[in-house]
Amino acid sequence: MMTTTIDNSVFENLHKNEAWMYTNVSALSKIDFEDCGEFDTQVIQTFDIAPENPFLVFVNGTYQEAYSRCAPGTEINAGAHGDIASRGDSVIPRGESDTLSITGNQSKTIYVLQLITGNAPIACYGNVRIHAANGESISVAQTHVALDACPHLFMPCTEVVAEKNATVTLVNAIRGSKMAYHLGSLHVVQHESSKVQTHTITLGGKCSRNEVYAYLDGEHCESNFDGMYMLGKDQLVDNHLRVEHNEAIGNSREFYKGVLDENAKSVFTGRIYVKEDAQQTDAKQTNQNIILTDDAQATARPQLEIYADDVKCTHGATTGEIDDEAMLYLQTRGIPADAARTLLIYAFLNESLDELQDDSFQAVLVEELLSNLPGGDFIRSLYL
Amino acid sequence: MTTPLLEITNIHASVEGNEILKGIDLTVMPGELHSIMGPNGSGKSTLASVIAGHDAYDVTEGSILFNGIDLLELEADQRACAGVFLAFQYPIEIPGVSTKFFLKAAVNAIRKYRGQEELDAMDFLDLVEEKANSVNLNIDLIDRNVNEGFSGGEKKRAEVFQMALLDPLLGVLDETDSGLDIDALKIVADGVNKLRSDKRGFVVITHYQRLLDFVVPDYVHVMIDGRIVKSGDKTLALELEEKGYKEFETCGSSCAC
Repeated sequence: MMTTTIDNSVFENLHKNEAWMYTNVSALSKIDFEDCGEFDTQVIQTFDIAPENPFLVFVNGTYQEAYSRCAPGTEINAGAHGDIASRGDSVIPRGESDTLSITGNQSKTIYVLQLITGNAPIACYGNVRIHAANGESISVAQTHVALDACPHLFMPCTEVVAEKNATVTLVNAIRGSKMAYHLGSLHVVQHESSKVQTHTITLGGKCSRNEVYAYLDGEHCESNFDGMYMLGKDQLVDNHLRVEHNEAIGNSREFYKGVLDENAKSVFTGRIYVKEDAQQTDAKQTNQNIILTDDAQATARPQLEIYADDVKCTHGATTGEIDDEAMLYLQTRGIPADAARTLLIYAFLNESLDELQDDSFQAVLVEELLSNLPGGDFIRSLYL
Repeated sequence: MTTPLLEITNIHASVEGNEILKGIDLTVMPGELHSIMGPNGSGKSTLASVIAGHDAYDVTEGSILFNGIDLLELEADQRACAGVFLAFQYPIEIPGVSTKFFLKAAVNAIRKYRGQEELDAMDFLDLVEEKANSVNLNIDLIDRNVNEGFSGGEKKRAEVFQMALLDPLLGVLDETDSGLDIDALKIVADGVNKLRSDKRGFVVITHYQRLLDFVVPDYVHVMIDGRIVKSGDKTLALELEEKGYKEFETCGSSCAC
């Protein structure tokens, strides 16, 4: 087995960088990573939930042709990343991998499975490029799953280009092992009147850093960058966003919400940058947390950097416990306190999943959420 | 002798140290409908909350027996299972939870408590449809999230529907008439009247006499400053409508008349 070429010394002092101050990944500098491992191919089938849809499978960063279903417009190339990823100030290491490229108008949601598995710690990239040309529409549902009780490391770089009037929808779900690290960056460039919607869902992982860099380079762009997380013991998520309004009349939303149990931690940093020329920008960022214990911790850092004078930018962060009034309402209908609490947590998170357009993918994520949620069986018993 | 459905004796309750209920006595026998009227801030809604088990209120003195059992010993959910239902003045919206989900949890929690078999999806939906029809509720509302985006009238109607579905022994209606136009009021009143029976009792809290034209009470109580200052039959409501609460305020705590 060969050792990867990643230089993991970069992780040692990363938390001294202001942008990483709440997320210490120095443990990664002491791990010897490998770049491939033995795995049971059976496991792939369990993630193949939509047999009618294209399905692209990568295991430890390597494309698995035998288990994949391509579509016109999906291609696998060797390579690292394009120009967009160089635009931001992300310090997550980037490297070569089998890179998935998706172009053309796609009538069906494209499923992408990025699996990381092996008996020893494995590090891999898993790069994806999505390019919707004028008026085209692309929808991608990507799952990152780490298996095994091993500190695997994902460093996926996803690039999205939406040209004039194009529409891109991308759901990224981080699932599986609660020992793995996920350091992902998503880079989005939008041209005139394009629409981009991303949704980052973190249910697994020990430490997940989800960076979003968006550049609204045309007028009348519409952008929704959403996120959801439900974390428990020793888990951390760090959602780090920078949305640049470079042209006028752009409309962007960041909406992140999560539930933290045990000693889980969440960090939200959202920077909205509005360039001088980007008049009539309408930007909003929101981070809502429910904290279930005294040990859980949510940090929200909303940041606005505005150089235009005719804009509307708002930010809001709430961190709280479960709503007493809602608890009382459910209890006065005979629902015991434990069940009422479970129902309200589920409600809070499910509101976010409700918005997903792809029903099969939504169902899988609801199921994963329920298996992480204390009292999830009670919720299952309510299905009709 | 029949056991009273609800027997409230000298209840004192306070919130954050402020005493709001200052010694309430009220007995409701099965089949009776009692109306409690009073001005804003007299403690009517507090009484409803104390009966339902809202833990923001401290009961400092007195007792509440429900069918002979000590209600104050029970949590809000146990009270509901025992047969107490509170129709809220402002039903809360719960985004993310479908009404069906919520109601299935409620119906089965109560059935379980009562030693009945839990309903499966099919039987549950049949029951929902039957009860919705019985109180003229638009069945489509049940596919939405709990109270989310409901109009004022729809919320109140949904409360009455929930009461029909959960089949309580005691219905406490906290200003269910507030904010309703006359047509909506008639529908809500009609729903309540259908639920009246010789086993079920009601405490109907209201500001205005108007509701009582449609839901005719057996007894009317006037509540002022945390006390019931006068009780009578339905003619008392008409008297109140004519004279207002001023007439009764002089008989409050500081009065020696």
